Amino acid sequence: MPSQANVPLPPGYRLDEYRIERQLSLGGFSIVYLAFDREDSPVAIKEYLPNSLALRTEGDELPSIAEENVTAFRYGMKCFFEEGRALAKLSHPNVVRVLNFFRANETVYMVMQYERGRTLQEHIQKHKGEIRESFIRAIFGRLLNGLREVHAHKLLHLDIKPSNIYLRSDGQPVLLDFGAARQTLSTDTPLLKPMYTPGFAAPEQYNTARRELLGPWTDIYSIGASIYACMAASAPQAANQRIQRDQLAPALKRWPDRYSKQLLETVDWCMRLNYLERPQSVFALQKALTDKQRNVPKPVTSFLGGLRKRVQSLIK
Amino acid sequence: MKFTIYQESRPGKRPTNEDRIAYCYSRDALLMVVADGMGGHLHGEVAAQIAVQYITEAFQREAHPNLKDPFLFLSGGLANAHHAILDYAADRFLPEAPRTTCIACVVQDSIAYWAHAGDSRLYVIRGGRILSKTRDHSRVQRMIEDGLITSEDAVHHPARNRIFSCLGGVNAPQIDFSKKTPLMTGDVMALCTDGVWGPLSNEAIARTMGGGNIMQAVPALMNQAEAKGGANADNLSMIALRWEDNYAEDTLGSVSTKTMPIDSFTTQMEAFAKARKGAQPLPNLSDEEIERAIQEINSAIKKYSK
Repeated sequence: MPSQANVPLPPGYRLDEYRIERQLSLGGFSIVYLAFDREDSPVAIKEYLPNSLALRTEGDELPSIAEENVTAFRYGMKCFFEEGRALAKLSHPNVVRVLNFFRANETVYMVMQYERGRTLQEHIQKHKGEIRESFIRAIFGRLLNGLREVHAHKLLHLDIKPSNIYLRSDGQPVLLDFGAARQTLSTDTPLLKPMYTPGFAAPEQYNTARRELLGPWTDIYSIGASIYACMAASAPQAANQRIQRDQLAPALKRWPDRYSKQLLETVDWCMRLNYLERPQSVFALQKALTDKQRNVPKPVTSFLGGLRKRVQSLIK
Repeated sequence: MKFTIYQESRPGKRPTNEDRIAYCYSRDALLMVVADGMGGHLHGEVAAQIAVQYITEAFQREAHPNLKDPFLFLSGGLANAHHAILDYAADRFLPEAPRTTCIACVVQDSIAYWAHAGDSRLYVIRGGRILSKTRDHSRVQRMIEDGLITSEDAVHHPARNRIFSCLGGVNAPQIDFSKKTPLMTGDVMALCTDGVWGPLSNEAIARTMGGGNIMQAVPALMNQAEAKGGANADNLSMIALRWEDNYAEDTLGSVSTKTMPIDSFTTQMEAFAKARKGAQPLPNLSDEEIERAIQEINSAIKKYSK
């Protein structure tokens, strides 16, 4: 189905008790606005508006929803609620905070704390190839505190990437956009099919038939890819391509002069294609990130992996 | 409600006691509060006193005979106590607001709800084992979680008294909330300051408190802690509760009347679970269901926000 982009609500628009300032981002599933509340404090408002199901054209407030899409639209709303429900229970300095939830314009809105700062993506662009190891360890070490809280609530983020990691002006990283978390629900709804960001999504995320393979290790792959992106100043090769033909140079080979061996090994460990060979929990990864002396534990190789290695060593 | 409760506070080897404790109950609800005023700061005992008094008074105003929403009560109680401390400091032009830790717990309908800021702890002990325990807002706790130190290292760590959340500080407190915890006959809840848990292991606390008679167990445990605390023993305070009702029996008896609205909510959640299994025709979401979901999310936001 060809998807047109939705037109955002205009600046100055009064939405419930908020005043829209401008659009911050536009995704396939939602639009995010910068707005101000009654006390004139800035907030970020996310509008549920999947463009495959509902279309708002120039000058309109209400989206038009084709008769046959009404049920799917409402079903997707459930998933939006799941995100809200999950985030509402999370109060952690490294996870974006939800402030309010309301209904208007025949759809629903989630109000979130707006933070001043910039995304890690912007930071990478600005400091191409100059990102220091201490920065990486500090930012990701703290971010993982937030991610651990997320996992503790039995939720996966599933769309971690530099543009979803926000650097507050006080230096604290904040994990944004839990939109993909809903995807665990929507496998049976082709119109709401998952949209992953190439380069950061784990290989098992491409295998939509086997959702049970997703786990903390899936987010951990994305963390590894995000650190890799900090070093390379660009996204790594997409995992589905890597499965076909792995052209991703290991971090250990690419930057032995710029980063410690231990950090590089940790990145490569996170980005293993076989999910069983990655750190299995955020805690395990955090340990590797905070402990500079200790070497990365040898990845738990599967029986087949071990066999393959032995064969390879014979060939050499 | 049927329960046994016992509380005690001692100065240890310190010249003043900056701990404050209180419990309070109506026909159907019970409140316990422990606050540990922070010595390094001015008027620690004042902060602790304000916190305990404020939360207890709010309980007396609102528990008629039970609280409408215990989490909302705790969230409001701790947040308001924080502001009351700041107001106190502002009224007296104190250079720095006094600070205190705080753990507050409500039990009603045999369900326990608690919230805390700082490193005063709550333990739920069932059958001599720790069923649940608060997570300290302390630097060492964070270091343990980050894998930098072990819990044995923490006992002597120089930063063991540094906490990052409290009532009355410059920063808004980080308040953590428990799950709704159903209590069974014989469950023991113990709230205490670091003067008690600091010198003791969790196992020792669980063993002594799980023994049955809390009237004897509390003084015995405090004797141990004070002895181990040595010449510099900190203030020690503890409230212990032994619950004599049983959640399972309670709900069996009253499911048709009192808990009816809660029950219909549970049914609502089941609809989601069914959807997850991928029923072919998409379940429709009615307007009421949307309203209910929004309401539920907003009450979760209120409960977990500072």
